[in-house]
Amino acid sequence: MEHGRHVFRVLFLLLLAVVVVVIARPFVVPRSYGLYGPYRFDSVAEVAARAPVHGGAASCGACHAERSAALAKGSHRTVSCEVCHAPLAQHVQDGSLVAAMRVDRSFALCLRCHARVEGRPEAFPQVIAAQHAPDATAGAACLECHDPHSPKP
Amino acid sequence: MDETHQPPADPEPTGRRQFLATALRLGGGVFVILCGGPASAGDGREPYDWTHHRWAFLVDTTKCIGCGSCVRACKAENGVADGVFRTWIERYVCSPEASHVDSPNGGLDGFPPIQTAFAPTKSFFVPKLCNHCKETPCVQVCPVGASYRTKDGVVLVDGKTCVGCGYCVQACPYGSRFLDPATHTADKCTWCYHRITKGLRTACVGACPTGARQLGDMRNEEDPVRLAIEKSRVAVLQPHLLTEPQTYYLGLDKEVK
Repeated sequence: MEHGRHVFRVLFLLLLAVVVVVIARPFVVPRSYGLYGPYRFDSVAEVAARAPVHGGAASCGACHAERSAALAKGSHRTVSCEVCHAPLAQHVQDGSLVAAMRVDRSFALCLRCHARVEGRPEAFPQVIAAQHAPDATAGAACLECHDPHSPKP
Repeated sequence: MDETHQPPADPEPTGRRQFLATALRLGGGVFVILCGGPASAGDGREPYDWTHHRWAFLVDTTKCIGCGSCVRACKAENGVADGVFRTWIERYVCSPEASHVDSPNGGLDGFPPIQTAFAPTKSFFVPKLCNHCKETPCVQVCPVGASYRTKDGVVLVDGKTCVGCGYCVQACPYGSRFLDPATHTADKCTWCYHRITKGLRTACVGACPTGARQLGDMRNEEDPVRLAIEKSRVAVLQPHLLTEPQTYYLGLDKEVK
Protein backbone atom coordinates (compact mmCIF):
# COMPACT_ATOMS: atom_id res chain seq x y z
CA MET A 1 0.00 0.00 0.00
CA GLU A 2 1.26 3.45 -0.96
CA HIS A 3 -0.15 5.21 2.15
CA GLY A 4 0.99 2.48 4.49
CA ARG A 5 4.59 3.32 3.72
CA HIS A 6 4.15 6.91 4.95
CA VAL A 7 2.79 5.67 8.26
CA PHE A 8 5.66 3.23 8.53
CA ARG A 9 8.21 6.01 7.94
CA VAL A 10 6.73 8.19 10.67
CA LEU A 11 6.62 5.27 13.08
CA PHE A 12 10.20 4.37 12.22
CA LEU A 13 11.38 7.95 12.90
CA LEU A 14 9.51 7.96 16.21
CA LEU A 15 11.09 4.66 17.17
CA LEU A 16 14.50 6.03 16.18
CA ALA A 17 13.95 9.09 18.38
CA VAL A 18 12.99 6.89 21.32
CA VAL A 19 16.08 4.73 20.83
CA VAL A 20 18.35 7.79 20.61
CA VAL A 21 16.84 9.21 23.81
CA VAL A 22 17.19 5.89 25.65
CA ILE A 23 20.82 5.50 24.58
CA ALA A 24 21.84 9.14 25.10
CA ARG A 25 20.05 9.78 28.42
CA PRO A 26 22.55 8.10 30.75
CA PHE A 27 25.37 10.10 29.16
CA VAL A 28 23.55 13.43 29.30
CA VAL A 29 21.66 13.26 32.61
CA PRO A 30 23.84 13.19 35.74
CA ARG A 31 23.67 9.93 37.63
CA SER A 32 22.11 11.28 40.84
CA TYR A 33 19.57 13.45 39.04
CA GLY A 34 15.96 12.91 40.10
CA LEU A 35 16.55 10.83 43.21
CA TYR A 36 14.79 13.29 45.50
CA GLY A 37 13.47 15.77 42.99
CA PRO A 38 14.38 17.48 39.75
CA TYR A 39 17.96 18.22 40.74
CA ARG A 40 21.37 16.55 40.96
CA PHE A 41 21.43 14.92 44.40
CA ASP A 42 25.24 14.78 44.51
CA SER A 43 25.32 18.55 44.67
CA VAL A 44 23.87 18.42 48.22
CA ALA A 45 26.95 16.52 49.38
CA GLU A 46 29.17 18.89 47.39
CA VAL A 47 27.71 21.93 49.15
CA ALA A 48 27.96 20.23 52.55
CA ALA A 49 31.55 19.10 51.98
CA ARG A 50 33.11 22.56 52.11
CA ALA A 51 35.45 23.09 55.09
CA PRO A 52 34.25 25.55 57.75
CA VAL A 53 36.27 28.75 58.05
CA HIS A 54 35.04 29.84 61.47
CA GLY A 55 35.79 27.45 64.33
CA GLY A 56 33.56 28.81 67.07
CA ALA A 57 34.34 29.44 70.73
CA ALA A 58 35.16 25.80 71.51
CA SER A 59 37.93 25.65 68.92
CA CYS A 60 39.56 28.81 70.33
CA GLY A 61 39.33 27.37 73.83
CA ALA A 62 41.12 24.22 72.74
CA CYS A 63 44.42 26.14 72.73
CA HIS A 64 43.57 29.32 74.62
CA ALA A 65 41.55 27.90 77.51
CA GLU A 66 42.55 30.65 79.94
CA ARG A 67 41.55 33.48 77.65
CA SER A 68 38.38 31.68 76.71
CA ALA A 69 37.43 31.30 80.36
CA ALA A 70 38.27 34.94 81.07
CA LEU A 71 36.14 36.10 78.17
CA ALA A 72 33.25 33.89 79.32
CA LYS A 73 33.21 35.74 82.66
CA GLY A 74 33.47 39.23 81.17
CA SER A 75 30.87 41.60 79.83
CA HIS A 76 31.91 40.77 76.26
CA ARG A 77 31.08 37.07 76.72
CA THR A 78 28.47 37.14 73.94
CA VAL A 79 31.05 38.40 71.45
CA SER A 80 32.76 35.52 69.66
CA CYS A 81 36.58 35.67 69.54
CA GLU A 82 36.47 35.56 65.76
CA VAL A 83 34.38 38.73 65.53
CA CYS A 84 37.18 41.04 66.75
CA HIS A 85 40.12 38.84 65.76
CA ALA A 86 39.70 36.80 62.57
CA PRO A 87 38.18 33.52 61.39
CA LEU A 88 40.01 30.47 62.70
CA ALA A 89 41.09 29.32 59.24
CA GLN A 90 43.28 32.44 58.89
CA HIS A 91 45.13 31.39 62.06
CA VAL A 92 45.13 27.57 62.21
CA GLN A 93 44.37 24.97 59.57
CA ASP A 94 44.42 21.21 60.14
CA GLY A 95 45.98 21.74 63.55
CA SER A 96 48.98 23.72 62.31
CA LEU A 97 49.64 27.44 62.52
CA VAL A 98 49.01 29.39 59.34
CA ALA A 99 49.57 32.94 60.58
CA ALA A 100 49.51 34.94 63.80
CA MET A 101 46.01 35.90 64.85
CA ARG A 102 44.94 39.39 63.95
CA VAL A 103 44.80 41.78 66.89
CA ASP A 104 42.91 44.90 65.90
CA ARG A 105 43.21 47.60 68.57
CA SER A 106 41.71 50.31 66.41
CA PHE A 107 39.10 52.86 67.31
CA ALA A 108 37.09 51.77 64.30
CA LEU A 109 36.68 48.22 65.58
CA CYS A 110 35.10 49.38 68.84
CA LEU A 111 32.98 52.03 67.17
CA ARG A 112 31.44 49.56 64.72
CA CYS A 113 29.32 48.39 67.64
CA HIS A 114 29.51 51.27 70.09
CA ALA A 115 29.29 54.47 68.04
CA ARG A 116 26.00 56.26 68.55
CA VAL A 117 24.14 55.97 65.26
CA GLU A 118 20.49 55.98 64.34
CA GLY A 119 19.00 52.51 64.47
CA ARG A 120 20.75 51.14 67.55
CA PRO A 121 18.53 50.09 70.45
CA GLU A 122 18.65 52.82 73.12
CA ALA A 123 19.68 50.41 75.87
CA PHE A 124 22.81 49.32 74.02
CA PRO A 125 25.97 51.08 75.30
CA GLN A 126 27.06 53.59 72.68
CA VAL A 127 29.08 56.77 72.61
CA ILE A 128 29.63 59.78 70.42
CA ALA A 129 33.38 59.44 70.03
CA ALA A 130 34.04 63.16 69.72
CA GLN A 131 32.35 63.81 73.07
CA HIS A 132 33.39 60.63 74.87
CA ALA A 133 37.08 61.00 74.14
CA PRO A 134 37.58 64.36 72.40
CA ASP A 135 41.37 64.19 72.51
CA ALA A 136 41.70 60.73 71.01
CA THR A 137 40.04 59.99 67.72
CA ALA A 138 42.28 57.25 66.39
CA GLY A 139 44.65 54.49 67.36
CA ALA A 140 44.22 52.30 70.41
CA ALA A 141 42.58 55.01 72.51
CA CYS A 142 39.64 52.87 73.69
CA LEU A 143 41.94 50.22 75.13
CA GLU A 144 43.76 52.75 77.33
CA CYS A 145 40.70 52.79 79.58
CA HIS A 146 38.70 49.68 78.59
CA ASP A 147 39.65 46.00 78.69
CA PRO A 148 38.48 44.70 75.30
CA HIS A 149 37.64 41.28 76.76
CA SER A 150 35.54 42.67 79.59
CA PRO A 151 34.97 46.41 79.20
CA LYS A 152 33.32 48.32 82.04
CA PRO A 153 31.10 51.24 81.17
CA MET B 1 20.15 -9.33 11.62
CA ASP B 2 22.40 -12.13 10.56
CA GLU B 3 20.22 -15.17 10.02
CA THR B 4 23.23 -17.49 9.91
CA HIS B 5 24.39 -16.35 13.33
CA GLN B 6 26.18 -19.16 15.14
CA PRO B 7 25.20 -19.80 18.73
CA PRO B 8 28.17 -19.18 21.07
CA ALA B 9 30.15 -22.19 22.19
CA ASP B 10 28.47 -22.26 25.58
CA PRO B 11 29.13 -25.41 27.63
CA GLU B 12 25.68 -25.00 29.26
CA PRO B 13 22.98 -24.48 26.65
CA THR B 14 20.73 -21.64 27.69
CA GLY B 15 17.10 -22.62 28.02
CA ARG B 16 14.33 -20.26 27.06
CA ARG B 17 13.22 -19.86 30.67
CA GLN B 18 16.73 -19.06 31.84
CA PHE B 19 17.28 -16.66 28.97
CA LEU B 20 14.09 -14.79 29.76
CA ALA B 21 15.00 -14.54 33.45
CA THR B 22 18.46 -13.17 32.61
CA ALA B 23 17.01 -10.76 30.07
CA LEU B 24 14.48 -9.48 32.60
CA ARG B 25 17.17 -8.99 35.21
CA LEU B 26 19.46 -7.17 32.79
CA GLY B 27 16.57 -5.14 31.43
CA GLY B 28 15.58 -4.17 34.96
CA GLY B 29 19.13 -3.07 35.70
CA VAL B 30 19.27 -0.98 32.56
CA PHE B 31 15.88 0.54 33.48
CA VAL B 32 17.13 1.52 36.94
CA ILE B 33 20.23 3.13 35.45
CA LEU B 34 18.07 5.04 32.97
CA CYS B 35 15.89 6.26 35.84
CA GLY B 36 18.91 7.75 37.53
CA GLY B 37 20.16 4.85 39.58
CA PRO B 38 19.98 4.29 43.34
CA ALA B 39 21.84 6.46 45.83
CA SER B 40 25.50 5.67 45.91
CA ALA B 41 26.51 3.69 48.98
CA GLY B 42 29.04 6.35 49.94
CA ASP B 43 26.31 8.77 51.04
CA GLY B 44 24.93 6.32 53.59
CA ARG B 45 28.06 6.60 55.72
CA GLU B 46 27.47 10.24 56.48
CA PRO B 47 26.15 10.60 60.04
CA TYR B 48 24.03 13.61 59.14
CA ASP B 49 20.50 12.50 58.24
CA TRP B 50 18.51 15.22 56.53
CA THR B 51 15.20 13.61 57.45
CA HIS B 52 15.92 14.32 61.13
CA HIS B 53 16.18 18.08 60.68
CA ARG B 54 14.17 20.93 59.29
CA TRP B 55 15.91 24.23 59.66
CA ALA B 56 14.32 27.58 60.35
CA PHE B 57 15.81 30.99 61.07
CA LEU B 58 14.72 33.56 63.61
CA VAL B 59 15.76 37.21 63.47
CA ASP B 60 15.01 39.42 66.47
CA THR B 61 15.19 42.88 64.94
CA THR B 62 14.89 44.51 68.37
CA LYS B 63 18.30 43.08 69.29
CA CYS B 64 20.22 44.00 66.14
CA ILE B 65 22.79 46.77 66.71
CA GLY B 66 23.86 47.03 63.07
CA CYS B 67 27.51 46.19 63.73
CA GLY B 68 27.81 44.15 60.53
CA SER B 69 29.62 41.23 62.20
CA CYS B 70 27.25 38.79 60.51
CA VAL B 71 27.95 40.28 57.09
CA ARG B 72 31.71 40.08 57.60
CA ALA B 73 31.52 36.55 58.99
CA CYS B 74 29.37 35.44 56.05
CA LYS B 75 31.80 36.96 53.55
CA ALA B 76 34.76 35.22 55.18
CA GLU B 77 32.98 31.91 55.66
CA ASN B 78 31.58 31.65 52.16
CA GLY B 79 34.09 33.67 50.16
CA VAL B 80 31.40 36.04 48.96
CA ALA B 81 32.71 38.55 46.44
CA ASP B 82 32.75 42.30 46.94
CA GLY B 83 29.52 44.08 46.10
CA VAL B 84 27.27 41.01 46.47
CA PHE B 85 25.82 39.65 49.68
CA ARG B 86 24.39 36.43 51.05
CA THR B 87 23.27 38.40 54.08
CA TRP B 88 23.09 42.12 54.66
CA ILE B 89 21.67 44.64 57.11
CA GLU B 90 19.19 47.38 56.30
CA ARG B 91 18.62 50.46 58.43
CA TYR B 92 15.18 52.01 58.60
CA VAL B 93 14.81 55.57 59.85
CA CYS B 94 11.12 56.42 59.99
CA SER B 95 8.55 58.97 60.97
CA PRO B 96 4.78 58.64 60.47
CA GLU B 97 5.11 60.66 57.24
CA ALA B 98 8.37 59.49 55.75
CA SER B 99 10.98 56.78 55.92
CA HIS B 100 14.53 56.32 54.79
CA VAL B 101 16.28 53.02 54.19
CA ASP B 102 20.00 52.56 53.76
CA SER B 103 22.45 49.69 53.68
CA PRO B 104 25.94 51.06 52.96
CA ASN B 105 27.89 48.16 51.45
CA GLY B 106 25.37 45.81 53.01
CA GLY B 107 26.36 47.00 56.47
CA LEU B 108 29.74 45.33 56.05
CA ASP B 109 31.56 48.11 57.93
CA GLY B 110 28.71 49.05 60.21
CA PHE B 111 26.61 52.16 59.79
CA PRO B 112 27.59 55.86 59.92
CA PRO B 113 25.45 58.49 61.63
CA ILE B 114 22.77 59.73 59.28
CA GLN B 115 20.90 62.97 58.70
CA THR B 116 17.40 62.77 57.27
CA ALA B 117 15.27 65.52 55.76
CA PHE B 118 12.53 64.67 58.25
CA ALA B 119 12.53 64.32 62.03
CA PRO B 120 12.71 60.57 62.66
CA THR B 121 10.54 59.07 65.39
CA LYS B 122 11.96 55.57 65.24
CA SER B 123 14.90 53.77 63.69
CA PHE B 124 16.04 50.18 63.66
CA PHE B 125 18.13 47.61 61.84
CA VAL B 126 16.80 44.60 59.94
CA PRO B 127 19.19 41.79 58.99
CA LYS B 128 18.22 40.15 55.72
CA LEU B 129 19.12 36.80 54.23
CA CYS B 130 17.54 34.10 52.10
CA ASN B 131 14.13 33.18 53.49
CA HIS B 132 14.48 29.56 52.37
CA CYS B 133 10.82 29.60 51.33
CA LYS B 134 8.73 26.47 51.26
CA GLU B 135 7.09 27.65 48.05
CA THR B 136 10.18 28.84 46.24
CA PRO B 137 9.70 31.12 43.25
CA CYS B 138 13.43 30.87 42.54
CA VAL B 139 13.46 27.07 42.28
CA GLN B 140 10.36 27.03 40.11
CA VAL B 141 11.84 29.23 37.41
CA CYS B 142 15.18 27.43 37.08
CA PRO B 143 15.26 25.94 33.57
CA VAL B 144 18.07 23.47 34.26
CA GLY B 145 17.24 22.08 37.71
CA ALA B 146 20.18 23.82 39.37
CA SER B 147 18.09 25.13 42.29
CA TYR B 148 16.32 22.96 44.78
CA ARG B 149 15.05 22.73 48.33
CA THR B 150 16.57 19.96 50.43
CA LYS B 151 14.57 17.62 52.66
CA ASP B 152 15.84 19.55 55.69
CA GLY B 153 14.44 22.80 54.31
CA VAL B 154 17.42 24.58 52.79
CA VAL B 155 17.31 26.13 49.33
CA LEU B 156 20.58 25.43 47.54
CA VAL B 157 22.18 26.06 44.16
CA ASP B 158 24.02 23.40 42.17
CA GLY B 159 26.86 25.54 40.85
CA LYS B 160 27.96 22.88 38.36
CA THR B 161 24.55 22.73 36.69
CA CYS B 162 23.68 26.44 36.84
CA VAL B 163 24.00 28.20 33.48
CA GLY B 164 23.82 31.67 34.99
CA CYS B 165 20.68 32.80 33.19
CA GLY B 166 19.65 34.85 36.21
CA TYR B 167 15.95 33.91 36.15
CA CYS B 168 16.10 32.98 39.84
CA VAL B 169 17.75 36.29 40.70
CA GLN B 170 14.77 38.07 39.18
CA ALA B 171 12.22 35.65 40.60
CA CYS B 172 13.29 36.08 44.23
CA PRO B 173 11.07 38.81 45.71
CA TYR B 174 13.54 39.34 48.56
CA GLY B 175 16.66 40.06 46.49
CA SER B 176 18.44 37.18 48.18
CA ARG B 177 20.15 35.84 45.07
CA PHE B 178 22.92 37.18 42.90
CA LEU B 179 25.18 36.07 40.10
CA ASP B 180 28.66 35.38 41.38
CA PRO B 181 31.00 37.76 39.51
CA ALA B 182 33.70 35.06 39.31
CA THR B 183 31.76 31.94 38.34
CA HIS B 184 28.82 33.72 36.65
CA THR B 185 26.47 31.27 38.37
CA ALA B 186 23.69 31.97 40.84
CA ASP B 187 24.66 32.09 44.49
CA LYS B 188 22.83 32.67 47.72
CA CYS B 189 22.70 32.03 51.45
CA THR B 190 22.90 28.31 52.22
CA TRP B 191 22.32 28.71 55.97
CA CYS B 192 25.96 27.57 56.01
CA TYR B 193 24.90 24.09 54.95
CA HIS B 194 28.52 22.95 55.21
CA ARG B 195 28.46 23.96 58.89
CA ILE B 196 24.99 22.95 60.08
CA THR B 197 25.43 19.46 58.62
CA LYS B 198 28.55 19.16 60.80
CA GLY B 199 26.77 20.30 63.97
CA LEU B 200 28.10 23.88 63.84
CA ARG B 201 26.09 27.11 63.90
CA THR B 202 25.93 29.30 60.82
CA ALA B 203 28.76 31.85 60.58
CA CYS B 204 26.35 34.79 60.99
CA VAL B 205 24.67 33.29 64.07
CA GLY B 206 28.07 32.58 65.61
CA ALA B 207 29.20 36.14 64.94
CA CYS B 208 26.13 37.97 66.22
CA PRO B 209 27.07 39.56 69.56
CA THR B 210 23.50 40.20 70.70
CA GLY B 211 21.71 36.99 69.72
CA ALA B 212 19.62 38.77 67.10
CA ARG B 213 20.12 35.85 64.72
CA GLN B 214 19.33 32.25 65.54
CA LEU B 215 19.08 29.08 63.51
CA GLY B 216 16.78 26.40 64.83
CA ASP B 217 15.58 22.92 64.06
CA MET B 218 11.82 22.53 63.71
CA ARG B 219 12.13 18.77 64.21
CA ASN B 220 13.49 19.30 67.72
CA GLU B 221 10.64 19.99 70.14
CA GLU B 222 12.97 21.64 72.67
CA ASP B 223 14.60 23.97 70.17
CA PRO B 224 14.38 27.61 71.33
CA VAL B 225 13.75 28.83 67.79
CA ARG B 226 10.92 26.36 67.29
CA LEU B 227 9.43 27.40 70.66
CA ALA B 228 9.74 31.07 69.73
CA ILE B 229 8.03 30.50 66.38
CA GLU B 230 5.32 28.45 68.09
CA LYS B 231 4.66 30.76 71.02
CA SER B 232 5.75 34.27 70.02
CA ARG B 233 4.23 36.67 67.52
CA VAL B 234 6.51 36.19 64.58
CA ALA B 235 6.20 37.70 61.12
CA VAL B 236 7.64 36.90 57.73
CA LEU B 237 8.61 39.19 54.89
CA GLN B 238 5.97 39.79 52.20
CA PRO B 239 3.50 37.13 53.40
CA HIS B 240 1.03 38.15 50.66
CA LEU B 241 3.30 36.45 48.11
CA LEU B 242 2.54 33.05 49.75
CA THR B 243 6.13 31.93 49.49
CA GLU B 244 6.01 30.58 53.06
CA PRO B 245 9.37 31.97 54.19
CA GLN B 246 11.23 29.99 56.82
CA THR B 247 13.12 33.01 58.08
CA TYR B 248 10.94 34.45 60.82
CA TYR B 249 11.17 37.91 62.32
CA LEU B 250 10.42 39.27 65.78
CA GLY B 251 9.59 42.97 66.02
CA LEU B 252 9.11 43.47 62.29
CA ASP B 253 7.87 46.93 61.31
CA LYS B 254 5.34 47.67 58.57
CA GLU B 255 7.99 49.60 56.64
CA VAL B 256 10.05 46.45 56.12
CA LYS B 257 9.36 44.64 52.87
